[in-house]
Amino acid sequence: MKEFNSIEDILDFAINEEQMAADFYTELAGKMKNQEMKDTFEQYALEELGHRAKLEAVKNGKKYQVSETKITDMKIGDYLVDVDVDKTNITYQEALILAMKKEKIAFRLYNDLASASLDEPSKKLFLMLAMEEAKHKLRFEVEYDSNILTEN
Amino acid sequence: MNKIVEKEDFSEKVVKIVVEAPLIAKARKPGNFVIVRVGEKGERIPLTIAGADVAKGTITIIVQKMGVSSTKLCKLEVGDYITDLVGPLGKPTEIHNVGTVLCCGGGVGVAPLLPIVEGYKKAGNRVITVIAARSKDLLILEDEMRKNSDELIVMTDDGSYGRKGLVTEGMEEIIKREKIDECITIGPAIMMKFCSLLTKKYEIPTMASLNSIMVDGTGMCGACRVTVDGKTKFTCVDGPEFDAHKIDFDEMMSRLGGYKEEEKGKMDHFQN
Amino acid sequence: MERSEEYIKNERKQEWRVELQKMTKAKDRMSIERVQMTEMAPEERIKSQRVEVNVGLTKEEAILEAKRCMDCVNPTCMEGCPVSINIPKFIKYIERGDILEAASVLKETSALPAVCGRVCPQEVQCEQKCFYVEKLNLPSVAIGHLERFAADFERESGVISVPKLAEPNGVKVAVIGSGPSGLSFAGDMAKLGYDVTVFEALHEIGGVLKYGIPEFRLPNAVVDVEIESLRKMGVEFITNYIVGQTASLDDLKKEGYKAFYVGSGAGLPRFMNIPGENSNGIMSSNEYLTRVNLMGADSEESDTPILRGKNVVVVGGGNTAMDSVRTAKRLGAERAIIVYRRSEEEMPARVEEVHHAKQEGIEFLTLTNPIEYIADENSRVKQIKVQKMELGEPDASGRRRPIPMEGSEYMIEATVVVVAVGVSPNPLIPNSVEGLEVSKWGTIEVVKDKMQSSIPEVFAGGDIVRGGATVILAMGDGRKAAANMDIYLKEKYLSKKVEL
Repeated sequence: MKEFNSIEDILDFAINEEQMAADFYTELAGKMKNQEMKDTFEQYALEELGHRAKLEAVKNGKKYQVSETKITDMKIGDYLVDVDVDKTNITYQEALILAMKKEKIAFRLYNDLASASLDEPSKKLFLMLAMEEAKHKLRFEVEYDSNILTEN
Repeated sequence: MNKIVEKEDFSEKVVKIVVEAPLIAKARKPGNFVIVRVGEKGERIPLTIAGADVAKGTITIIVQKMGVSSTKLCKLEVGDYITDLVGPLGKPTEIHNVGTVLCCGGGVGVAPLLPIVEGYKKAGNRVITVIAARSKDLLILEDEMRKNSDELIVMTDDGSYGRKGLVTEGMEEIIKREKIDECITIGPAIMMKFCSLLTKKYEIPTMASLNSIMVDGTGMCGACRVTVDGKTKFTCVDGPEFDAHKIDFDEMMSRLGGYKEEEKGKMDHFQN
Repeated sequence: MERSEEYIKNERKQEWRVELQKMTKAKDRMSIERVQMTEMAPEERIKSQRVEVNVGLTKEEAILEAKRCMDCVNPTCMEGCPVSINIPKFIKYIERGDILEAASVLKETSALPAVCGRVCPQEVQCEQKCFYVEKLNLPSVAIGHLERFAADFERESGVISVPKLAEPNGVKVAVIGSGPSGLSFAGDMAKLGYDVTVFEALHEIGGVLKYGIPEFRLPNAVVDVEIESLRKMGVEFITNYIVGQTASLDDLKKEGYKAFYVGSGAGLPRFMNIPGENSNGIMSSNEYLTRVNLMGADSEESDTPILRGKNVVVVGGGNTAMDSVRTAKRLGAERAIIVYRRSEEEMPARVEEVHHAKQEGIEFLTLTNPIEYIADENSRVKQIKVQKMELGEPDASGRRRPIPMEGSEYMIEATVVVVAVGVSPNPLIPNSVEGLEVSKWGTIEVVKDKMQSSIPEVFAGGDIVRGGATVILAMGDGRKAAANMDIYLKEKYLSKKVEL
């Protein structure tokens, strides 16, 4: 597992992760033929950049808290088949699946890093990051649940 | 209601039917198919288009007696009407000038291959065609294929005509002899599977045209589901042609048998 | 067809209405109990796909029920009707015993009254807005049953009225899809004097009314009579014609069609994308219902095969799921089971359908979700791995979402599985018409209430716009589109003529 020497290190890593996620969605947006799908992925990219900005604020001294409330995991993405990201005509349903899975991976990463952390401040920071990803995933899950799983 | 204007028995089991369908004749492209229904209790079955005459407003379909529905269709005579005929359906073949194309057809799969061979030739390709059948009397469209191909190889399983052997044997010989840029295969699922395995070995891009079970043919029922590159596709609207190297042929073959018992029951009922 | 408040008020003041109002005291009207629809016994009706569950009211029952209606000054019930049927007027004609007149009132605004009387969710529309419900906390007037009665009475009488038509104006309009939305649109446009042609991809007219809704809920013969009425009004129907494939929209323009209404419906069935879903024996509700309803596969005489099984599982909780599971029972399943991810309360199916299903012995496994299918050596499904769900805390929208319970997986035996988890819009038209704006969901974007798309001469409604809707909402869209297309066409083609 990756080693971190300081809180700063962790934040730099996370900031980079968010930037990579944003780049991933921007690239997908560029590939889409349908305008609204382009907009959708650009929106996702913006959200990731928002996370980045949040982390940068923390790096610059802004206080953060690990909330006590548990974020629901609807696990919708867990059972779905992967989406082909090479396509140029991804449907909105596929976009949601993609996003759910991506957020879940990020959540797991931070959770694992949290459990592997030896000192309390790092653990807390990782947990906060994991929570952020979980919240983000839930947003996609709720949208999927409301619009795709209408009759089941 | 579409009137049959011409009929020819190719063999005991295979019949060519020319039927009035002016709009389909005009709109169809290589690779398209139609859905037909015979009689008020008839089933909707997909059939490939072997050709069209825009001036006469007709299309040609070639049918093999398999179950109740195809048998009923084959029993119709000139002057009779097909109850329902709808199309053209599916995505047309993507035909470009790529160089040398190897077209392989088996059984009645040779029928839909004909417009594709014509298309590739017209686009300026060198077209080498291999057609195959179990025996001489089941071989179809040899002259038409010869006319539109730079080279034609005929194979029969029993050696009663052309060369004895499977379609893949003829193919491999060509592949070893010269550079093939693209390959297309249409025929029984098992044949397409082996064609695909062969061209994969030689890394030749290959398309296969699938003949899945369908009801409506417009994407509504999902009976024609097929797994391509790990994803579920609908043959009727996403196909019928897919990258052969990515098709799960084993699943496809098992799905073709999805109604085997029920179809046998219908056939028994029909014959008694 | 004008439905202004003033018009409704004036109608109510007509002599015969006033007379009826005076004849029975409000108190006496209120003391009548709501009629009970006679139903075929469950054990009888499950023997055939084509025996209707609801028998219909007798004339005596209908007249008595009509008497309950207060003929309110402000008929709130009408607000609940997407096609604005003049509800008190038709009900009062029934009370008066003039059933044919009642039927013609229905036809003023509805192209399919016998259909709506059967499949509309009246309990959440007109009946929910009834004076009895809103003010008295009593069961509403049985508007739906009465609508069905009037329409059936007319059909069975053989004296079928044709609504008044405007002078033909010679303007050709095309309808794409012959489902409820297209039929409703066609009816209104024919009344306005347009030359209407309906193009249908399948070999039968009626769309979901034929391929989707089973005959035990809606007999095909009932649908056919309504279509016949439209034919009499001059609407032309062309089957086996796929706009976008057989010919393009531009081809039709060249043939002189000035405007188009796209009511092509919800095309593609959704699957769950879980392992094993392509095993044999697993199919969409569209496939299952089409084979039976449209192709008649429940009959020996049909050439279309259908899969039967001892245990049939239907996944989903909508009306389509209910239709599928009840069909399975009628095809001889010993156990026909609904597997639904949420609780019964959240089921989108009509309460009546769930109730009828239970009467028929359908089993309900709610808060249960399939996660994998297991097939036998012939690739035929034999088991479904399901997982139990629990409802989480209400989220921001107040909805409690289902969450899987760890370690709760178990197997259900089934050799036939019908997936009824919804459909997505038919992509044929969106894909084939250049410049048509389509949402990320694949639905056609229209100006709300006008139903006009990004291409001025193309209007759209029903599932292709809504994604998933009821028959009656689709019909309401058809009416709105007709009214607005009429304005559009009059401006563009007909006003000049008048000036000349």
